[in-house]
Amino acid sequence: MKRVLVIDDATTVRMYYRQVLEAQGFAVEEAANGYEGLEKALMESFDLYIVDINMPKMDGYTLLRSIRQEPAICATPAIMISTEGQVQDANAAYAAGANLYFNKPVKPDVLALTVRMLTGEKPT
Amino acid sequence: MSLIKKSQDISPPVLEENRRTPRDRAGLLSQLENDAPDIRRWAALDLVEFPDTAEVLCAQLAQETQTPVREALLTTLIKIGNPIVVNRLIPLLRSEDAALRNLVIEALQQLPEAVAPHMKEMLRDPDADYRIFSINVLDNLKHPQAPAWLQEVVEKDDNINVCAAAVEVLAEVGSAEVIPALSTLPERFDNDPFMEFCVQTAIRRIQGNGNRI
Repeated sequence: MKRVLVIDDATTVRMYYRQVLEAQGFAVEEAANGYEGLEKALMESFDLYIVDINMPKMDGYTLLRSIRQEPAICATPAIMISTEGQVQDANAAYAAGANLYFNKPVKPDVLALTVRMLTGEKPT
Repeated sequence: MSLIKKSQDISPPVLEENRRTPRDRAGLLSQLENDAPDIRRWAALDLVEFPDTAEVLCAQLAQETQTPVREALLTTLIKIGNPIVVNRLIPLLRSEDAALRNLVIEALQQLPEAVAPHMKEMLRDPDADYRIFSINVLDNLKHPQAPAWLQEVVEKDDNINVCAAAVEVLAEVGSAEVIPALSTLPERFDNDPFMEFCVQTAIRRIQGNGNRI
């Protein structure tokens, strides 16, 4: 079973992604900020990270830059999903190491399809 | 993260060397521009004795890049906590620097009475991202007006992400009185699945919380 780590400070957002992805057969772990996310990413093995930008303690850009500097986890794909919809926000996400950038809210079918694509998981 | 740290957490002996310089107002302000982050950090902390330096501290915060110095500046600014501080911190919510924005949000959360007079205007700003950051301030502001401000957002704001942020906070601080307003939200946003999920989750959490406000 492919494992996804959702890193977002909004409890409801984490619950929403969990509901969508578990229904598609993914195992989902959660972290409420960048520090917690980095700690979990280093401690456990994941097939994909879903990362918010604005979080307390460590923002999503800093988290992704940290992940990309860690040899053990730097190749794991990451989707950055945020409320910020300017071109410079997407550019900053890609510069930090995101594989894809989406604006919130993401439709459930789009999220599921994208996660399947990036993890190499076949449709259920 | 708490910006005000216990005194024993911020006094490693080696750094005391950087305090053996003039601790008067002029000396500290000069050290605030020093190239060494440790010296800037200690100057920022010691300037708490001079509340009239709040403007300078805020200006330094806007250009400071080192997180420990930023945290020291905000620790002092929170202790000063006067209207000048809030007037200068609020515009930093528009910073392109996400890390700085998040530190400012945490600082403003600790100044509920000084922030309160600005909140209505902040929640009506044309920039949706800025409104979301303002709602993030409300998340831990612990102000009795917070549920009413958030309810107004839910009833009037036309941005789905702003409303979702308000719903998230209302799930924590709202009472049963806000449930009718929440219930109208999905329809306002074409029954978007994310908004429906947010509202259902918030209502369940509020009903679980009981009437806390």
